[in-house]
Amino acid sequence: MSVRPAGDFKTSYARDMALLDIRFHRAGFGLLLLVLGLAPLLLGRYLFLLNAIGIFAVGAIGVSLLTGFAGQISLGHAAFMAVGAYTSWLATTRFGLPFLVALPLSGVAAFVVGAVVGLPSLRIKGLYLAIATLAFQFITEYVIIHTVGGSGGNVVPAPRVGGLQIRGETQFYFLLLPVWLIGGIFAANLIRGRVGLALMAVRDRDYAAQVLGINLLYYKVLAFALAAFYAGIAGSLFAHYNRVISSEHFSIITSIDYIAMIVIGGLTSLWGPHLGAAFVILLSQVLKIVTPAVVALVPAFGKAATSVREIAFGAMLIGLLIWEPGGLAMLLRKFKRYLDLWPFTY
Amino acid sequence: MSLQFALEGVVIGLAVGSIYALIALGFALLYKSTKILNLAHGELVLFGGYLAIALTRSLPLPLLLAFLLAIIGTLAAAALLGFAIERTIMRPLFGQPALSVIIVTLALGYIVRGVMVGVWGGDTRQFPPVLPADVIHLGSLTMPRVGLVSALVALALLVLFSLFFRYSLWGIAMRAAANEQLTASTLGVSLTRVFAYAWAFAAIAGSVGGILLGLWLGVNFALNFVGLKALAAVILGGLDSIPGAILGGLILGVVENVIGGYIDANVRFPGFSLYGFKEITPFLVILIVLMIRPYGLFGTEHVERL
Repeated sequence: MSVRPAGDFKTSYARDMALLDIRFHRAGFGLLLLVLGLAPLLLGRYLFLLNAIGIFAVGAIGVSLLTGFAGQISLGHAAFMAVGAYTSWLATTRFGLPFLVALPLSGVAAFVVGAVVGLPSLRIKGLYLAIATLAFQFITEYVIIHTVGGSGGNVVPAPRVGGLQIRGETQFYFLLLPVWLIGGIFAANLIRGRVGLALMAVRDRDYAAQVLGINLLYYKVLAFALAAFYAGIAGSLFAHYNRVISSEHFSIITSIDYIAMIVIGGLTSLWGPHLGAAFVILLSQVLKIVTPAVVALVPAFGKAATSVREIAFGAMLIGLLIWEPGGLAMLLRKFKRYLDLWPFTY
Repeated sequence: MSLQFALEGVVIGLAVGSIYALIALGFALLYKSTKILNLAHGELVLFGGYLAIALTRSLPLPLLLAFLLAIIGTLAAAALLGFAIERTIMRPLFGQPALSVIIVTLALGYIVRGVMVGVWGGDTRQFPPVLPADVIHLGSLTMPRVGLVSALVALALLVLFSLFFRYSLWGIAMRAAANEQLTASTLGVSLTRVFAYAWAFAAIAGSVGGILLGLWLGVNFALNFVGLKALAAVILGGLDSIPGAILGGLILGVVENVIGGYIDANVRFPGFSLYGFKEITPFLVILIVLMIRPYGLFGTEHVERL
């Protein structure tokens, strides 16, 4: 427990149960909302970074629920994202549905697929489950290539909300932001409630949880379905943002990126997926900019440039897991605790 | 399905399957003694293939001599890599939850593959012609000579490994540690050393697989996919069973070539085709096995207690 700001008390049960319990946290969250709202002004032409971060953060919330809180490993999260993306594509192009219908629809489609994929989790667990989801990932890629996708891409129309055609980064950002916020707050509430507690009990020891009266099948399947729901929403957003989708966008590399996001961000933290998504996207972008510059300086470096991202990611994951398994969220918390008592740390 | 097609599929399948078996052996070996599911195993295969090709090409000696030296060098390097992985990455993570270990092996795979591709580029690389590229006739069946050689080498290595585990002191120590880590530890088996040897053997088995596949098909960065096929083989045979891994590899090779090959060539639907079905057969095998018999053919059934 970190030190609370002096004089900032919770004086009612309602305050005690609130998501943001004290004035300090409320003010902080308000500031965050303000910054996010003004982001298009602050970031200018770099807003695309925040759009990418938001999309992947929504997906990563799902992974964090599934892996961090329910303890089920999924190496096939990109496949759920693909389900959402292609559902959205089908809904908007073939059936001519508006974006605001297609978005929840793709979430629901992924939800159903996730529940089906989650069914075996009662029987197989741990390593075996990871392998099964890995197999699901490759089979989904195969199915996409051989049915809807082909080897080329599918063009997705720009989203329309009401009569307004969403064009450009800024407009898309204001479409994304509410989804992102609702997703994050929903997950935060879910974790505090019965479902979240049950999921954590399942994570810590599933048989013990069962003895305590938790329906294992229901909660494991629910965890998968919820994670897939988030991924489906992220997939739909991604499809309408990128405007072209192909199987390559949802390959095993994206699945591993998701794992990297929650590990880097912090597995069991509500801020973890957001921090992790931001870190992974920013790191990719920085490497994209820095690597050609380095190659221009040292031409001999050219061959190695293609794989710098992989090496950097790998090294970062290993380093974090060895030295700080709590991820960025834990580092931030430690930093905050350090500041609480600074400069008199005794 | 004609008989000829099936027989040819079986023969080729057994040859490829013996390489899968060898790679799967490394997998199962590591899982058995350390309980680590090594998702970087495909990258160890890649490592062996790339390094052997580079060494063979760069040594200024007659071809066969260079090839032999290259193999020795590659195996030594693989063993060193195995030791290094155990010492730097796995030892600090001893006793961590399965999720961390899986992610670490994934990350390790990223690093190894990244370095390989960074050094040797993304193109397919071939061995210089070490073996004659002709075809051997077995009755009415044909088979590339490379296939036969790799099957024989894989077989020899499998025998060698099983003899090692049966009779040598370290082999026995490793089996003891695999059976019951704590007990073995109290009886004087050094667990860290057992883990180090397990990693070295896994890397060696993977590398030999990489060299054999490189002789047959050439090496490119997609070869790490073979690691996943070996994963299917060990799942089929039972994760902690060495005979299971071998049998699983052979079965997988045959299934992939006969059933996958048949569907690839003959099944057509209006609207879409199933080309490349062979490539996902291993994953279907994984799913089916996990549904029906999660511990595989010979694996020990895991009984959980509260």
